[in-house]
Amino acid sequence: MDTLLLARLQFATTTSIHFLFVVVTLGLVTLLVGMQTAGFLTGDPKWERLTRFWGQLYVINYVLGIATGIVMEFQFGLNWSGLSRYVGNVFGAPLAIETLLAFFLESTFLGMWIFGWHRLRRGLHLALLWGVAITAYASAFWIMVANSWLQNPVGYELRDGVAHLTDFGALLTNPTLGMAFGHVLAASLLTGGMLMAAVSARHLIRRTPDFALFRTSLRIGLVVAALAIAAVQGFGFAQFGPVGQVQPTKFGGGPGRDALVAEWTARFGPGDWTPPVLSSVGLGFMILIGLTLGCVWLLLPLLWRDAVIRLRFPLWLILFALPLPFVAVLLGWIAREVGRQPWAAYGLLPNSRAVSDVDAGLMLTSLVGFGLLLGALAVTNWVLLARHAARGAHDPALGRPPAPESDDFPRQPVLA
Amino acid sequence: MELAWYALLGLFFATYLVLGGYDYGVGLLLARGGSPAARRAALTALGPFFLGNEVWLVAAVGILFGAFPVLEGELLSGYYPAVLGALAGVVLVTAGVQLRSRPDGDRARSRWDRVVVAGSALAALGWGSLLAGLLQGLPMSAAGHAAGVTHLFTPFVAAAGLAMVALVAAHGATFLTLRLPEPDGATAARLARRLIPVALAAVGAATVVGLLSDRVRVGAQQPLVAVLLMSLLVTALLGARVALARRRPGLAFAATSAALALPVALVGAARWPWALVSGTDPVTGLAVADAAASAPTLSLLGWLTLPLVPALLGFQAMCWWIFRGRIDGRAPVYW
Repeated sequence: MDTLLLARLQFATTTSIHFLFVVVTLGLVTLLVGMQTAGFLTGDPKWERLTRFWGQLYVINYVLGIATGIVMEFQFGLNWSGLSRYVGNVFGAPLAIETLLAFFLESTFLGMWIFGWHRLRRGLHLALLWGVAITAYASAFWIMVANSWLQNPVGYELRDGVAHLTDFGALLTNPTLGMAFGHVLAASLLTGGMLMAAVSARHLIRRTPDFALFRTSLRIGLVVAALAIAAVQGFGFAQFGPVGQVQPTKFGGGPGRDALVAEWTARFGPGDWTPPVLSSVGLGFMILIGLTLGCVWLLLPLLWRDAVIRLRFPLWLILFALPLPFVAVLLGWIAREVGRQPWAAYGLLPNSRAVSDVDAGLMLTSLVGFGLLLGALAVTNWVLLARHAARGAHDPALGRPPAPESDDFPRQPVLA
Repeated sequence: MELAWYALLGLFFATYLVLGGYDYGVGLLLARGGSPAARRAALTALGPFFLGNEVWLVAAVGILFGAFPVLEGELLSGYYPAVLGALAGVVLVTAGVQLRSRPDGDRARSRWDRVVVAGSALAALGWGSLLAGLLQGLPMSAAGHAAGVTHLFTPFVAAAGLAMVALVAAHGATFLTLRLPEPDGATAARLARRLIPVALAAVGAATVVGLLSDRVRVGAQQPLVAVLLMSLLVTALLGARVALARRRPGLAFAATSAALALPVALVGAARWPWALVSGTDPVTGLAVADAAASAPTLSLLGWLTLPLVPALLGFQAMCWWIFRGRIDGRAPVYW
């Protein structure tokens, strides 16, 4: 096996796992902001219980987002040192901005939010969650800026084969950025809404206590999912125009593609300059899933007088539909990334020049090691998520009030 | 301009070693066993700081990528095994600490604690090896790219890796001295006082092995600075021991923090003006000025991020301030 293939496999594995967790992070944090804000404004304890229950699932899910994210960040240098050598002047900037201005603050705020229950003033505690959400969105934005640059390199000039930044504004107005960013955000909200609706549906099917609580989160989840799926479809179809223009090889044939392939063959020598078929097959399935999920709108009328709960079969439908958004985001990501092949930066830096000059054995070790490590952690994480989701909202560890202080009992930590 | 960014990179990585260092130190000390409550107390001591500590690494690598792209590619791929080990350790600790208390049973939690111990050891070994590898140099091909990985397997790298493990363990125990309620704080203080001589011995051993290595002697372009910073490191450790004996845990923690930051300063300053040295005589390599991104990128990053660095530090300081002092009955327990 050659180093290039192994490096690509490792990137695909890590990114896929990362993506499955970050869509949930982005989606849930938005819903959490809504719930905690509602609690702050109305003072109704229901909202605090909802925030604690969904917040706990959010925090468990967040772990794998960070773990895989750190591996991704290092992978650029470990496996793709050509990327930093030839295009690092441009590509590195949005990534540096993301780590410093977004992720750094997101984690700092989240640490304070987790441990700030019953300790900070309620307004400050709420502000921290808003901070987490805003920086999470900023983080997604800068990552998409970086990724869009790989899809369609702009705002640079080549000197001695190395790209230098000339126009940062062009990175922000990249035609592959705007609609894709909206698409990813909407997909995250869809996934978050579906997750919320499905977990609530399971509690309502099993008639666990807290009917009122899960009725509320089922309704929130369904409405958010319905609004989000409309946005997903809109931003999704809106991408075909601009992407087809700047990446003629992505969605199959046409005169534009043949002209481009001829130009690349002249510049970079003969080779297979078209992406594998796999990417467009996946795209087709993703669109099918997207259209299917549009049926969420049919459930909205059933919210009237709780018909969705009393009829019961809609609850089962929601539960079984839970894997769909996850499959769809993976397929969409594959379409975007595999459709860019065989380029690290489209039309500028082929994969073969971007990959590190590392021994294939070492690369295989790294692929197998991190594949097993992150795969095992992901499965463990999902098991924990499922267990905590099934356990219900009566006493999540997140935000558990500390023991009351008394005179004859010194203040020792209560460790349960 | 390059010097300022190089210093900022060093500052972020050194801060990561100081803050992440006590995470890993506390993680290593979970290996002592102890009651489930004692282990939980140690993790509660990390509590709100844990997430904010790990991000310094992410930010450091972000600066490395944005401001020194050429260095990033050569450094990470050239020191592949060390980076791989450290990275696996960081991932294990990150996941282990945050997930260990989610299962209810003590047995599942003990299993996770072993994950945290292994991860902490790997992370400390990895970062120690990387710093040592930087000092002893990276063989380069004629085109100026890192060549091979076997250059890492030397006695000096091994000794420095072990020294880092000893340093973070002592640092972690000192942190617990500051944070645990009495009488557990006093127990941690006794442990820290025993661990500091071990760290001193390990640092001494690494220094001796380093002095015996030709490649390290060549790599240290500024021997005077290296000797000065090395003696500061030893002084810091001795100071920590004295401060612990006099029941001044805050001072002791400051001293062990310095002991973790100084290796970064040493590796950065001793090789100046090189970012990577070849380890051969006469020295070639990658100069800091050549490793930096071109001027437009640096000025963009400067205008966009530098004004916000005080805000980043401010929010971290806010976290330290809110949750300062020893943990007590009001301390939220989550990890």
